[in-house]
Amino acid sequence: MCLLVAWRAPVAAQVTPPSAAEVARGRYMFGATGGCGCHTPPKGQPNAGGRRYDGPYGTVFSSNITPDRQTGVGGWTDEQIITAIRLGRRPNGERLLPVHPYPVFNGMAEEDLRAIVAFLRTTSPVTKANQPKKLIPMFESVFLPAWLAAFAPRETPPPKAPTAGVPRGEYLIRAVAHCGECHTPRTMTMATDNSRFLAGNPKGPEDQAMPNITPDPETGIGKWSVEEIADYLGSGNKPDGDVAGGLMGEVIEGTLAGYKDLTPADRTAIAQYLKTIPPIRNKIGKPVK
Amino acid sequence: MRPRVMFRATLLMLGVTALTLAACRTTAQTPSMTAAEAIDARQKLMKEQGKAWKDIQDKTKAGQIAAIVPDAEKLASTSKQIPGLFPEGSLNPDKSLAKPEIWQKRADFDAAAKNLETWSVKLRDAAKANDAEQTQAIVKDFGRQACGTCHQPFRVPPKQQ
Ligand code: HEC
Ligand code: HEC
Repeated sequence: MCLLVAWRAPVAAQVTPPSAAEVARGRYMFGATGGCGCHTPPKGQPNAGGRRYDGPYGTVFSSNITPDRQTGVGGWTDEQIITAIRLGRRPNGERLLPVHPYPVFNGMAEEDLRAIVAFLRTTSPVTKANQPKKLIPMFESVFLPAWLAAFAPRETPPPKAPTAGVPRGEYLIRAVAHCGECHTPRTMTMATDNSRFLAGNPKGPEDQAMPNITPDPETGIGKWSVEEIADYLGSGNKPDGDVAGGLMGEVIEGTLAGYKDLTPADRTAIAQYLKTIPPIRNKIGKPVK
Repeated sequence: MRPRVMFRATLLMLGVTALTLAACRTTAQTPSMTAAEAIDARQKLMKEQGKAWKDIQDKTKAGQIAAIVPDAEKLASTSKQIPGLFPEGSLNPDKSLAKPEIWQKRADFDAAAKNLETWSVKLRDAAKANDAEQTQAIVKDFGRQACGTCHQPFRVPPKQQ
C-alpha cells in the first residue's frame, strides 16, 4: 500500500486528489439533489444525458455530465463545472436554460459544490454526444437574459453549509434537493412563485401533478407527522400504506444516490423545516390536459 | 370387447364434459370485464395492498414478525391478479391514475407485477422462519423495490385527500 502511494505520488503531484472522505461526501450531496436524475434517461446510463425537456422555449436535452473528456465534462476544470452548476454558464460562455435549476443551486455552499465535482470525477465516463437544443427564435439572446434578470428568484450561498436542525433542512430544501422546482407553482412567466412556496403545481415537470406539501391540513401535508415525512423521504412509504411513484419515486430512489441515502438526521431536518413554512390552501386535482 | 368400448365411450364423455366445464369456468371467471369494472376492481385491489403493506410495516416495527405472514401471502396472491385488471382499453385519465405506458410497455408492466410476487414470497418466507433481522431488511426496501418500481413508471401522481 505504501509502495503504491509512493509510486503514484509523482503522477498526482500537480493536483492533490480529493480524499476518499471528500468523494463520499460528494456522493452524499449528489444524492441529496435527488441524484441529478434529469441527466439520466429512464433505464439509461447514469449521468450520460439525453433526456428531453419541452417547454415554451422549445426543446432541450440534458447534458452528459460523466467525466468523458470528449463528450462529457472530463476536460473541464473544477471551476468550470462549478460555474455551470451554479451560474448556468458553459466554458464557452454559452448560457444554460434554467431547466437546469442554477438559480436554486446558486444557494449551495462552495464546499458542497467542490465535493460534488470530486465525486463526479470518480464516476464512469460514457462517450455520448450531447443533442443540440432547438429553441424558439431570439430566446437565448433576448428573452432568457431578460427573464433571468427580472423574474428568476435566486438563492444566495451561505459561507458554510448549516449542519443541523431547521437551518439545515431549509438549506437542503431550498438550495440542494430543489423541492420547489417541482412542488412550487409557477407564475405566468414560468418562474417559481415563491410567495406560494411548495404549494403544489397541477401541471409540473413532465406534465405530472405535483402535490401541495405545505402544512395546510386539508390540501397539504399538515396531517403528516415529522416522523412520517422523514420516513417517506427515505422509503417512499406514505402514512396510508400507499407508495410514492412518478418523479418523487425517482428522486427518492435517485441514480448513483438519492434522497433515500440521506441520514435520518437530515431527513428529519427537512421535515422540521417543512413544518415551519406558511400553510397554503391549494387543492391539486388530477393532471390538467 | 364390449366393456372396452363402453369404457372408451365413457372416457370420451368424461373428457368432453370436463372440457365444457373448463370452458364455462374460464368464461365465468373473466367475463369480458368492462373498462369501468376493471378500473373499480384494480383500485379496490390496490387499496387492499395498501392496507396489507401498512399492516406489515406496523407489525414489523412492533416486532411481531410471524404475524405478517398472512399479509405477505395476501400480496403474493394479489400481485398475480394485477395484469388481468389492466385490460386493453381501460385507460381513463378521468377515473384512473394508470398511465398509457402500461399498454405501450406491457411486458415491463407484467414484469413489475411478477417482481412484487417475488418480493412478497421472499418476505413471507423470512417472516415464516421468524427471522427478525432478515424480515426487517426486506421491509426496509420493500416499498421502493416491490411497489415503487411499478408506481414510478406506470402511475400518475395521486390526488391529495
Ligand atoms: C405492476 C404495477 C403495480 C404494482 C407492483 C403495485 N401497484 Fe399500486 N397501483 C398501480 C397502478 C397502475 C395504480 C393506479 C390504478 C388506477 O387508478 O387505475 C395503483 C394504485 C395504488 C393505490 C391507490 C388506490 C386507489 O385508487 O386509491 C395504492 C394504495 C397502491 N397502488 C398501493 C400499492 C402497494 C402498497 C403496492 C405494493 C405492495 C403496489 N401498489 C404495487 C400499479 C402497481
Ligand atoms: C422531480 C420532482 C420532485 C422533486 C424534486 C421533489 N418532489 Fe416531492 N413529489 C413529486 C411528485 C410527482 C409527487 C407525487 C408522488 C406520487 O405520485 O406518488 C411528490 C410527492 C411528495 C410528497 C407526498 C405528498 C402527498 O400528498 O402524497 C411529499 C411529502 C414530498 N413530495 C416532499 C418532497 C420534498 C421534501 C422534496 C425535497 C426534499 C421533494 N418532494 C422533491 C415530485 C418531486
